Amino acid sequence: MVRRYLKKEGDRLLGEILNTYYLQIGSFILINIMLAISVYVPLSSGQLSLGSAGFMGVGAYTSALLTLHFDLPIVVGIIAGALVASILGVIVGIPALRLSGVYLAIATLGLGEVIRVIFVNWDSLTKGSVGLTGIPQLGREILEFARGLGFEPSMIGIKNNQFVFLSIFLVLLILVIAILWFVVRQQNSRVGRALSSINMDDRAAESMGINITYYKVVSFTQGAFFAGLAGALFAHVIGFISPADFAYHRAVEVLIFTVFGGSEVIVGSVFGAFFLTLMPEVLRFVSEFRYIIYGIILVLLMAIRPQGIIDTNLLKIFKFKRSKGGVR
Amino acid sequence: MVLEVKNITKNFGGISALKNVSFSINKGEIFGLIGPNGAGKTTMFNMITNIFEPTSGEIIFKGENITGIKPYKITEKGICRTYQNIRLFSQMSTLHNVMVGGHSQSHAGVFSSVFRTRAQRKEEQLLIEKAEELLDLVGLLEHKDTIAENLAYGQQRRLEIARALASNPSLLLLDEPAAGMNEKETDSLYDLIKTVQSRGITVLIIEHDMPLVMKLCDRITVLNFGEKLAEGTPEEIQNNEAVIEAYLGKEEEEVNA
Repeated sequence: MVRRYLKKEGDRLLGEILNTYYLQIGSFILINIMLAISVYVPLSSGQLSLGSAGFMGVGAYTSALLTLHFDLPIVVGIIAGALVASILGVIVGIPALRLSGVYLAIATLGLGEVIRVIFVNWDSLTKGSVGLTGIPQLGREILEFARGLGFEPSMIGIKNNQFVFLSIFLVLLILVIAILWFVVRQQNSRVGRALSSINMDDRAAESMGINITYYKVVSFTQGAFFAGLAGALFAHVIGFISPADFAYHRAVEVLIFTVFGGSEVIVGSVFGAFFLTLMPEVLRFVSEFRYIIYGIILVLLMAIRPQGIIDTNLLKIFKFKRSKGGVR
Repeated sequence: MVLEVKNITKNFGGISALKNVSFSINKGEIFGLIGPNGAGKTTMFNMITNIFEPTSGEIIFKGENITGIKPYKITEKGICRTYQNIRLFSQMSTLHNVMVGGHSQSHAGVFSSVFRTRAQRKEEQLLIEKAEELLDLVGLLEHKDTIAENLAYGQQRRLEIARALASNPSLLLLDEPAAGMNEKETDSLYDLIKTVQSRGITVLIIEHDMPLVMKLCDRITVLNFGEKLAEGTPEEIQNNEAVIEAYLGKEEEEVNA
């Protein structure tokens, strides 16, 4: 009796946790983390790029069009989307990186707008401002693939719908972990030291034998790649895209993730994307006031903690506690 | 001859910072570049490392014309410098600052860095060992994990020298390394530069601390208002009428008396 009750209760809890609404928010958080990293990486070499929305759009449209018109597998589309965005990153990066600071920010913001206007006006290909619909959905493809192998979601006691959202969430989670792994490993290496030395003093970095143009283009292109990847995934998670998804408010939103969370450390970007994606959902109970609260939090933060929530000092406190006052 | 500076002229707008200056430095010597403020000494360093390109003239390093090539390539060829107003990577640890200095001596790219290939790990180990050895040389090994901006002023100057040495230069340019140092620190700086020389590194030094310059340098060039005023051994420079006049102006008779 008790056992059966526990089993039933367990299933109910699983059903609760695998609530498709939660899973979808989780997926948006993960995509936004990718976007925040796409701002963080160029910033780690001192490049303030607002091109993320544009590169995201390029990735999304590339993958959507390839899978819609050429019936290519989603995986191929996503990889192509990320690659096309990074190629554009190299092409734009080489001339644009002569600029720095605010000037680079404005130039990349302009780039994003140019890309958006192309999406709006290239009607025959992009269907203009209406956008593309019926883009193959990542979760459904995974479900079909799993069924081909003789697997049914009911075998592990979840509904098809839950499986679809769960598989998307897991794919995104794996990708985010892989990206974090990549960026952290790169940071703790010769390449990472070169990037942060350029950030701290580019002239001194150049005197130390660092080809600053090369490293700036590398970090800018990596940012474009991550943004393109996030965009392609976005297209296949949502199923429909329009130029408005990649407009300038998106660029600013992504920048806020990184600045809010703290742009000195990668944990900051991750936290910023997590917190700011979740907050409007949590604040749903105050309905129309939620964006006011969102705005007030941003203003307060910038006044009190301009370096963002998480900075190197905060991390040091945690590290210090963990090593119980150890040497490092 | 390690370095030949041939007829270098640099104009900023209508002002000539350097006018037709030439000198050459022999291998293994400590060569001083002195002169009153604004004489063009740092501009000369910026010409040699090509932070600015000279208006005319040539710079020959080990028989090769290096005028106008990219600064990072000049470092790769074996010229490295320090700055008058210290330019460390202030948020990085002391050790990492020196490891950045070893950039031109290492090769790991994005791929090998991320996947930690065997060659990359070996190279990283070598970089750390080299950096620690240099920190030991400048007496900062115990501060290797300290963030550079938290070091004392004199220590920051020494760290800059260690960082420059990490690029394995054959010519080291020091821009006022003793500025702001007390007597004791200046003494140990003297020992450090002598050690650097004993390792076969040629040194070109800008310095205002005359006792240090006279004790340290094998030969000296004096600049004044962008022009070369004199060149010679420390004794010759000390007894040169034109130099005394440039430095001390009208009080020359009192000094000579």
